[in-house]
Formats: sequence, C-alpha cells, structure tokens
Amino acid sequence: MKRYEVIVVGAGPSGLSAAIEAAKRGLKVIVFDENEKPGGQLFKQIHKFFGSKKHHAKIRGFKIGENLLEEANYAGVEVALNATVIGLYADKEVVVRRNDQVFHYKGDCIIIATGAAENMVTFPGWTLPGVIGAGAAQTMMNLHGIKPGKKVLMLGSGNVGLVVSFQLLQAGCEVVALVDAAPQIGGYGVHAAKLSRTGVPFYLSHTIAKAHGEDCVTGVTICEVDSQFKLIAGTEKYFDVDTICMAVGLSPMSQLLKMSGCLMEDNPKRGGQVPIIDEFGETSVPGIFAAGDVSGIEEASSAMIEGRMAGVCVAEYLGYCTHEEKNESLAELKKDLESLRQGMFAPANRGKKITKTEEGIEISDSLLKNGFVAEQEIERYPGVVHKSGIHPVIECTQNIPCNPCQDACPKGCISIGENITNLPVVEDENVCINCGMCVASCSGQAIFLVDEDCGDGSATVTIPYEFLPIPEVGEKGFGLGRNGERLCEATVVSVKSVKAFDHTNLLTMRVPKEYAMSARFYAS
Amino acid sequence: MNTIVDRTKDIGEFIPQPDDDMLICRCEEVTKGEIRRAVHDGMWTITEIRRYLRTGMGLCQGQTCARLVKGIVARELGISMAELEPAAARSPMRPIEMKVLGNEEVTDLWQ
Repeated sequence: MKRYEVIVVGAGPSGLSAAIEAAKRGLKVIVFDENEKPGGQLFKQIHKFFGSKKHHAKIRGFKIGENLLEEANYAGVEVALNATVIGLYADKEVVVRRNDQVFHYKGDCIIIATGAAENMVTFPGWTLPGVIGAGAAQTMMNLHGIKPGKKVLMLGSGNVGLVVSFQLLQAGCEVVALVDAAPQIGGYGVHAAKLSRTGVPFYLSHTIAKAHGEDCVTGVTICEVDSQFKLIAGTEKYFDVDTICMAVGLSPMSQLLKMSGCLMEDNPKRGGQVPIIDEFGETSVPGIFAAGDVSGIEEASSAMIEGRMAGVCVAEYLGYCTHEEKNESLAELKKDLESLRQGMFAPANRGKKITKTEEGIEISDSLLKNGFVAEQEIERYPGVVHKSGIHPVIECTQNIPCNPCQDACPKGCISIGENITNLPVVEDENVCINCGMCVASCSGQAIFLVDEDCGDGSATVTIPYEFLPIPEVGEKGFGLGRNGERLCEATVVSVKSVKAFDHTNLLTMRVPKEYAMSARFYAS
Repeated sequence: MNTIVDRTKDIGEFIPQPDDDMLICRCEEVTKGEIRRAVHDGMWTITEIRRYLRTGMGLCQGQTCARLVKGIVARELGISMAELEPAAARSPMRPIEMKVLGNEEVTDLWQ
C-alpha cells in the first residue's frame, strides 16, 4: 500500500487547483482521474471565460486547462490517468483500478473533486440514438472533432445549453431551436444574444413532447407548457432533426464522499446529494475535503478557487503552513470567490426573478423571453451611446461578474469601476482608436464598433466573428438584426485577426446608415 | 442515518398512466410503470426499489437514472425528492470486471 500526504480524486479544474496549492507548499500529492486525459471539462471549453483578469477572464477554457497542468507539473503534482477510484473509506484508504489491477493507497488527507454528471429528462423516444447530453456533444465536437449531428434541437437554456448551442453552430451544425420549460432564459443574456443574432429561435415555456424515429432520431415535437409544466394540447411544433441535445442541469457525483461516511444532505440549491462542508470544503470527516461541483453545482472559475482553498487547508492540517499563512491565503481566495458570486446570476439569486439591474435599469424582457434585446430597449443601457466617428457600442445588459473590456481599451473609453458586476459604461470624452481590443476581449461577444455615419449614407459595424470560413473582403452579404433577421445588404470591408484577439476575428461590414444601430451579424 | 419511513401512510391505488411503458433505467430496462408499481408493492425506499427491480445496478451505475427514479418514487409517495434517502454508496463505485476486482496488488504491509 502506497502512502501519499494528499490524494486528490478528479483532475478537473478544482482537483488540479487543490493539488497545486498543496504541492507547492511541499506536500506529496497524487491526483487520480478515470479519464485518459486530465483537465475534466476544461478541455472541451473552447469559449472565452468570464470574470476578472485574476479569474482567467477572456482566456479560453482549454487554455486555462493547459496552464493548470503546467502549474501542476511545476509544483511536482503526480497525475495518474486511467486510474478509476472505486472505493474510499473513512480511514482515508483509496482503492484504485489501474489497468487490470486494483491498488490500495493511503492518504493523510483526501480531496474529492469528482465533479458532476448530466441530468436527463424523459419523453417518449428519449432512449433513441441521437438523444444525447450537451456534454457529450461537446466531447464529440471539441475533443474528437466529430459533428454530433446535422440538425440539432437543444433542450435547456442555461449557460451550458447556450454555450454548447453556439459551439454546435461553430462546428457547422444547424441548431433548429433552443427549448426550455422555464418561462425565461436561464443563462447569460449575452450568450443567448450570440445565438439569436445567427437566427436560432428560442421556445420558452416549451418542452419536448416526443422524439420521433424507429432506430434513431428523425424528428422531434415540442409543445408549450402551462405554469404547472403540463403540456398544452394543440401547441405542438414539429422539427426535422437528427440530434436532440439535453442541457438540463447537473448532479454532483458525490457517492465517494457518502461511502466514506461524510455527512450528506439533499440540497436542491446545490444540485442534489452533497456533503455537508464548512466554508473551505472540509467535510464532517476530519481530513476529507470536497471541492468544485461535487459540493454544489457552479462553474469552473469558482471550482478552481474552491480547490485552492481545500489545498491550503490540507497544507495547514498536515503542518506545512502556519495557521496565519492559511488564514491569509484563505481570506484572499474568499474575496475572489465572493466577487464571482455576485450579480443577477449569483447562487444566492437562483430562482429569483430580477427585473432591474443594480443600476436600476429595467432588464430587457425580450432578452429573457426571445434571446435578444429589442431595438426599443437597447438604448437604455450605459454601453450604448451615439457619437460621431467610430465608437464602441456595448450591449451588455445584465450584472454579471466580468470586466476584461475595461482593461482592454488603451484609451480608457470603457469603465466598469470597482464593482465587477457593473454594466460597462462608454465614456463620452475619450476617443476610440478603432483598435478592436474591446471587441475581442468580450467573452459575451457583446461589443461592437460602430461608425454611425461615414458621410456617404453608409455606416460601418465591426462585429466579433468566430465562424469558418472567414468571409473575404469585398464580399457582399446581409446584415442581420439582433433576432437574426436579414435587415439589409452588407459589404465586408475588413477582417482583422491578430494574435491578441485570440481567434476572435473582427469583421467590419458596411451597411446603410439607418441600420448602424441594428445590424449585429453578417451572413453571406 | 436512515430516516424513519412511515409505512402507514395511504398512497392510494396504483393508477395506470399512459407513459408507464417508458424506459427509465436503460441499463436494466426498467420502465416507469414497473417503478410506480413497485412503490405500491411496498418498496418505499430507493434501496428497496434497487433490490426489487435492479434500477441503477447496471453498467452506468445509476448515473443517468438515479435522479429520474428518485423523482418517480417521490411523486408516487407524495413527498419531495429531498426527503427520500438515496441509495447506499459502496465499492466498487464504477463497473469493474470480477477478474480485475479480484486482482489486487499484493504488498507486504510492513515494508
């Protein structure tokens, strides 16, 4: 039986972060993961993350994964892959399957960071091939380079559903509809707006009534639901699809903790069965910690901080740092975590209907119901201004913890202030130099550079563009509205893609000037 | 840690539903109707349901259906999902061939 000071189960964002914090204080750490590659879900995340600079904002998920692995390697963390933990006992013995053998390990401390599994909903036909989890779709596309299907219907409008739908579009699939039984969109408005402007329709207060097909999915019928989530007869809509994707929430994979004797609770706010933990992740069994989604569903950025907290606690528990050092580190991590748990999507606000931003501006009703801010609503936000010459237009309308745009502008045109969830404000006196850094820095792709009047009856609109093929300069196509409708003819004036934009191309199109404030996407 | 299950409660008769033939546990091919009927047969805890019908005992070890089964049983009993004690968690946590489970690394404990 091999001994380690710390055994971490799960090499995802929280597990790796925990291992790093422990190892860099001198502890002997091993991380077990059942997968053949480390990183958990991070390597499937090809989009830019939200947050502040410190939270790896505007860095793409897989890059954060690469950085974490590098950091773990440097700290001397041993990562054991294809190593399936099949048992955990209260005396901190861990039983692991590696190849065709079972091994026993003993840890002085255990950190469980096993993450979560996808939920499913049932409907007639839900077991047909072609009905898959959104996570599975992401694995196929982003890890294996396989298109999950040609025509996809997404169920679930939380951030997972929104982000994966966009990635399906990027992979060249057609997303025929985004459906959610809830009366309003669950995820970030900016993610929804990204989909809407490409023409994906949203069906709120709808659910799947039936998946059609004999051997595989050939179609799907959705149906409106009433306030009790009962199907309303006569509201059926049929779509021709070969894939149905489900993004209906996650459940913590907490069985190992339960098995080891940690006190558990069923907490719907945390996603299901979770261990009862203190503020920094220690369970009821001294020396066993939990971090990340396994202790309550959130997202990768907070999972990384929770992991670091557990790592620091373990170091102190085993005498590798003083109580004071621990408290100092924890205080800072706690501050970071709290700043991520702010805004209208904060865990504390789950289930609440928020009608006004922190600034007192009404939330766009159309954004919550249709996935885009209506034209008559957009002018009320502080990022939407009119000026002569090129200037940024920031269609960021909800309080989310994110502020890279503020630092991106070298001229100080954009300000968010101390409070990370503030809506970005476009400063009147500072002059935009058309560098495009703000457009590329916005993880929500909500910043546009607009020249409302070029003097010849036309306007130019620069949009973030993350699709292939990249349109050629001079190409004639159409300017699409926020709802994806074709508004006008548009000509591609330039396409910029420099390294600092990190694969967000900046496409500038010329449109008739009356569409300067409404054309927000380009289609050839 | 088991909570007391009050088995004197009247949950009424089993009433057939149109979607009773829907598969819930795919690995062990258990339908919604079978789960609902099991509750009326007196299986009021997830552990009992699991032993009676083998739901969640297949290849995926309940990864997909555990929550669904819990929802169906809770609804049948007229309680919330949170009130229902989840099934016991025990090794092996993941499906494993017997020949591998029996192939333990043998070391001298005192080395």
